[in-house]
Amino acid sequence: MEKATVVCPYCGAGCKMQMVVDDGKIIKVEAANGKTNQGELCLKGYYGWDFLNDTKLLTPRLREPMIRREKGAPFETVSWDEAIKFVAHRLSDIKAKYGPRSIMTTGSSRGTGNETNFVMQKFARAVLGTNNVDCCARVCHGPSVAGLRATVGNGAMSVSVEDIEKSKCLLIFGYNSADSHPIVARRVVKAKQNGAKIIVCDPRRIEAARIADQHLQLNNGCNVAMVNSFIYTILEENLYNKDYVANYTEGFDALWDVVKDYAPEKVEPITGVPAADVRQAMRTYAKAETAIICWGMGVTQFGQGTETVKSLSTLALLTGQLGRPGAGLAPVRGQNNVQGGCDMGVLPDLFPGYQKVTDAAVREKFAKRWGIDPATMDKENGVKITEVPHLALEGKVKAYYIMGEDPLQTEADLSMVRKGIEALDLLVVQDIFMTKTAEVADVILPSTSWGEHSGVYTCCDRGFQRFFKAVEPKYNVKRDWAIISLIATEMGYPMHYNDEQEIWDELRELCPLYFGATYEKMGEMGHVQWPCPTLEHPGTPILYTDNKFATPSGKGLLFATQWRKPGELIDEDFPMVLCTVREVGHYSCRSMTGNCAALRTLADEPGYVQINPTDAQVLGIKDQQLVWVESRRGKVISRANVSERINRNAVYMTYQWWIGACNELTQDNVDSVTATPETKYCAVKVVAIEDQHWAENHAAQIYSEMKARLRNAVEEAKPATASIA
Amino acid sequence: MNRFILADANKCIGCRTCEVACAVAHRSDGDVSALNEVNFTPRIHVIKGAYISTAATCRQCEDAPCANVCPNHAIRLENGFVHVLQENCIGCKTCVVACPYGAMEVVTYQTVRDTGAAVNVQVTKAQANKCDLCHTRAEGPACVEVCPTEALHCVDRAELERLTAEKRRRTALEASAHNVYA
Repeated sequence: MEKATVVCPYCGAGCKMQMVVDDGKIIKVEAANGKTNQGELCLKGYYGWDFLNDTKLLTPRLREPMIRREKGAPFETVSWDEAIKFVAHRLSDIKAKYGPRSIMTTGSSRGTGNETNFVMQKFARAVLGTNNVDCCARVCHGPSVAGLRATVGNGAMSVSVEDIEKSKCLLIFGYNSADSHPIVARRVVKAKQNGAKIIVCDPRRIEAARIADQHLQLNNGCNVAMVNSFIYTILEENLYNKDYVANYTEGFDALWDVVKDYAPEKVEPITGVPAADVRQAMRTYAKAETAIICWGMGVTQFGQGTETVKSLSTLALLTGQLGRPGAGLAPVRGQNNVQGGCDMGVLPDLFPGYQKVTDAAVREKFAKRWGIDPATMDKENGVKITEVPHLALEGKVKAYYIMGEDPLQTEADLSMVRKGIEALDLLVVQDIFMTKTAEVADVILPSTSWGEHSGVYTCCDRGFQRFFKAVEPKYNVKRDWAIISLIATEMGYPMHYNDEQEIWDELRELCPLYFGATYEKMGEMGHVQWPCPTLEHPGTPILYTDNKFATPSGKGLLFATQWRKPGELIDEDFPMVLCTVREVGHYSCRSMTGNCAALRTLADEPGYVQINPTDAQVLGIKDQQLVWVESRRGKVISRANVSERINRNAVYMTYQWWIGACNELTQDNVDSVTATPETKYCAVKVVAIEDQHWAENHAAQIYSEMKARLRNAVEEAKPATASIA
Repeated sequence: MNRFILADANKCIGCRTCEVACAVAHRSDGDVSALNEVNFTPRIHVIKGAYISTAATCRQCEDAPCANVCPNHAIRLENGFVHVLQENCIGCKTCVVACPYGAMEVVTYQTVRDTGAAVNVQVTKAQANKCDLCHTRAEGPACVEVCPTEALHCVDRAELERLTAEKRRRTALEASAHNVYA
């Protein structure tokens, strides 16, 4: 028996674990003593690996390169050589005909790791000549990156995961750690045991609210009004740190003018939170010896996501709750390597290491290292993934090379996204599973999975951690970066790497922020947090300890803005708010966890819609009954989960379900800065189904039809008989 | 005194890792990938109410109602816990009704029985399913081992006395602080 050290491929907590392998097969997973997880794992970590064996519980692994000769035709299996040539020639043609900006690419925030993301953005920028590269940070913490870069300079947690348990006060805003990151939730529990004050702002009575000192149960869709009333209270009650504000921040004078209309008493009708509670919460936060603001999608997935992030960071800047152990800002990243995707520059405006694509000197540095003429590089910010469907419909984006993402499951307003995808000339999907997006691809490039390769992930607290290969890949698959290199070479840009470390060393040398984070320093169990500028540097657990911010002036920017209502409001026809949330046992688009026996057993299709008992009673719905949930954009079947923890007039659906897919219902109102969709708020109606017997059969039937369709797409693919290219 | 598994509701985050650990620990092959909705029969259950999340399982009662009512003497107090001798269980569910904690369940599974006449027939076998403290597992109870927030403990006499003493102390100190007898 052998053991391979890996980092869990699910949430961003960065848990180290060991896969126990016997005769090439994984037997079990054991928790390892990583920096963030301290020998603990949650159910996904312990029981979320059997998808590697192609269980086909939800959808099959991709085993061979496949090509579809024309839209709607069945897949044909081809050799790697044919697939690479096909993709390279089609991309070259489209580039020649429509220009480099007609091609869109994605990195992947999931199992593939940082090295692949670096290679993908290099492919886009050096080979295609476009900044059109993005990742699913766009639909999750994009506003945290943009907001924090504007106010404090770095778009990441300013503290470490362990600081959460050291803090004297946690202000938890729109962040359900128990379902999203159980191993971070563990730190919240520990903080409470250590005597910290816990303040939770959430419309639902989430697990953290249960143990909180104060639960500010705000209405859905009023975050900015809520945070403005926080800022108002801090100013009006003189709770701010005058020395800190004077020495380390700017923009103070403009604040009051914005927040003066947001007295807690005045916004009470909007937020539904008693003014006295708001005032009490801010006194607790401001006076605490140390305090951390934790947030998640409940902040970012709104039309005002970036503005809310900037306003939350303003609370920390006003009170000086930054730059010390247990004091700071904690946007806890959702996916295992979504921080890494951003670190590696799979963002349309930034090179790896957060260097701007609009900076000529930076472009020249990368061009020189990559042996290209800087004049051939794209000088403008590229396209964001949420803009792709629209641009495809306008004929401006013609080809989409998607790696390790499933936009037809995870993006808002799926019927609109489908139309955009259908309008493309070429869709290339590189993945490990037959996802809903892979199903409509023109070319499928099958890659190795987590467990079958090595590399580096960045966990939520900026920590680089290495993960190692546990088993040999069984199918005709290749490593993601090797596939991209082959396409690049075929397109006339020779690209070859021997291993991950060669890629890592190239990117370290190009990124001053990461230069000192060598493979040797990380080792098997190490956790090196950027900035790590020199070989001697141990990494940076806490940012801004010197109160110097990574902004142009070196000062923290104070910010407040007016609250706006969400993009789509409830009305008589669609009287309830739909907010999309997370399922503890499932992850992202569910292609991995849906293929794990234990996790599927705990929760399966068509998924759940959480609803308050009073609302359920009015609608004639009993717990665990199937119901219709309908918006202006679609209608899906789901199972009612009646719970007193849910607020009135709102329902919550986890976005993991392929049958009860809430993104059929969500809307495309996006954040003005980051184009992140407002998936936390749209108007729906919930309708009881009288004939439950029919409903159960119907749900089971469409689930089984979908599974058969996805399985057949792989299993019935015949070898191509005629030449492809 | 029997040991028993106790959950601290102040630490439970309702993640159900304990349920899966229990189901895996009670499979002879220990194979998590063989779990499905039929054979997933954990002996510990996460309960979520309006204000509480916790895990419920057998208290290993000293004077166990389930053992007292079992008509076939399949439930016995031995080896420091309430032990179901599965070969004696007839699936009558009397124990399920008797248990005040809802910790007992009768589950059925398919098995092959040799009729003695060289004919194997598939039969439904019942099993009274309850926490056995993972008594055959060298590492001890699996749920306690995996709980990410350390909300689960195996409480023995010393631990119970410690908990009781702590409560006694807290009550006494609070009473003096409020000066109730002054």
